[in-house]
Amino acid sequence: MTVYETDVPGVGRKFELEVDDGARLVVLMHHDGRRELFHRPDPDADSQRIADMDGETARQLGAILTGAYFQPIELDRTQVPLGEAILEWVDIDEGAAVVGQTLSGCDVRNQTGVSVVAIQRGDETLPNPDPDETIAAGDILVVLGTREEQQALQEFVER
Amino acid sequence: MASGLLLEAGLAITVLAVAGTLAYRLGQSVIPAYIVIGLFVGPNAPEVAGISFAVLERHEFVDLLAELGVVLLLFFIGVEFSIDQLLANRDRLAVIGGIDLVVNAAVGVAIGLAFGFSPVEVAFLTGIVYISSSAIVTKSLIDLGWVADPEAEVVLGTLVVEDLVIAVYLAVLSALVLGGGGGAALSAVAVALGFIAVLVVVARVGTPVVQRVLSVDSDELFVLTTLGVVALVGGLALQLGVSEAVAAFFVGTAVSATDEVHRVEKLLSPARDLFAAIFFLAIGFQTDLGALSGTALALLAVAVVLTSASKLASGYWSGLRYGLSERRARRAGIALVARGEFSLVLAALALDVGTGALADVIPAFAVGYVLAMSVLGTTLMKAAPRLERYLEERTTEST
Repeated sequence: MTVYETDVPGVGRKFELEVDDGARLVVLMHHDGRRELFHRPDPDADSQRIADMDGETARQLGAILTGAYFQPIELDRTQVPLGEAILEWVDIDEGAAVVGQTLSGCDVRNQTGVSVVAIQRGDETLPNPDPDETIAAGDILVVLGTREEQQALQEFVER
Repeated sequence: MASGLLLEAGLAITVLAVAGTLAYRLGQSVIPAYIVIGLFVGPNAPEVAGISFAVLERHEFVDLLAELGVVLLLFFIGVEFSIDQLLANRDRLAVIGGIDLVVNAAVGVAIGLAFGFSPVEVAFLTGIVYISSSAIVTKSLIDLGWVADPEAEVVLGTLVVEDLVIAVYLAVLSALVLGGGGGAALSAVAVALGFIAVLVVVARVGTPVVQRVLSVDSDELFVLTTLGVVALVGGLALQLGVSEAVAAFFVGTAVSATDEVHRVEKLLSPARDLFAAIFFLAIGFQTDLGALSGTALALLAVAVVLTSASKLASGYWSGLRYGLSERRARRAGIALVARGEFSLVLAALALDVGTGALADVIPAFAVGYVLAMSVLGTTLMKAAPRLERYLEERTTEST
């Protein structure tokens, strides 16, 4: 999964995602906070503008796309649909107990019930982190879970 | 007296609003509309059936606000100018910017020599026909959605190089003409380059200071501080015989390295748009369409044809060198045809000098040229899909 990122001088930043057989989705983040979404059916075609939205709408759409609003049941894994789930961003401080441990090592999922959907480390984001990924100080864990589970995670991290 | 001035200012801004609305409805760029309205209601307005349309006079306030417009236009170019980005892509940008410069400047020089202009006049003409309009081109790319396609990278990359070239060019040219002739001109250029060198060093080294100055919580203090610094440095530059526009550009580059870029864009864009509109109006005021005859008219006809062709060719060649397909490379050329604000900044400087062809022929030509090229450029971009279909039909028939 490649995301192509380019600076657009005087306009903002452009992100391109390959969707299928050469088609690309283009997201243009304007300096003024506007977001435009384009679809380019093939490399030689012109991009078609799909949507033009403000930051708030874009974040709403992003939350829907990440599954924070509705989690489909994937049949290969029995999973409770998380109707109550919310996404939280949890900062890992220097002294946290989990620093230096892998995700599977500290058993965060069974201990608290949350799913770690991504780790933000500096400028990069690791989506769907590997169970062997080591948690470092300064990481931001993006986690999905109910309010109770999120609370449990807070306590787990601050132990 | 002040009451009369307020009425004048209200009238001026209102006619700008009307002209801008009309242009917007017609799907055209607002810049030519502002100039045209300046031509038709300003001091040089034509008389129709014995009634003069000259309802507005060229008061000092118009010149002052226009000056602020120029300074803010260049300041914004500096703010959006990223030295790091330029260095990161320097190989690619050097190629496309180099092609653009060599092809278009060569055509400008050739036209100037053919018309028997003096070296300084040729230098002005070359600058006017070389530089595409960042404002018109960027806006058209966004409006038509081309900004999401690869050709936009070539077009915007070319504009980045042009902005840098014109900043240096303006500095040298204005020092030359404002500093007089001969040895005085040489020392003026040295002073100008020295002043710019100081600004560049301050811009690179003083980023933390600029950051601290700008990190005020209050938005109104932020606006006052920024405008104050820009106007102050610009005014100081003028006192030293350096172009105020160039000084503003480098103040902008000092801001570009801080975290305040978006804030500047958000809070100061309205000020820039207002003052820049008045600058275009003032250009219309200063232009006598009567001067657009004889030499200026012939120059206009020749320049429109040749420099449209040269931008189409240089953009196409740049696009191919960048690895674009034929169609996208053609679009890169089409997108660069529009000329605008910088050609007018040069024309305003020529008016300040006011000797020989610089006093009448070149300013009148520049205004006609920007009107023609801005409309032609945006129209060509809109018509590109139709042109491409026509070309395709032609090629399929011939094979």
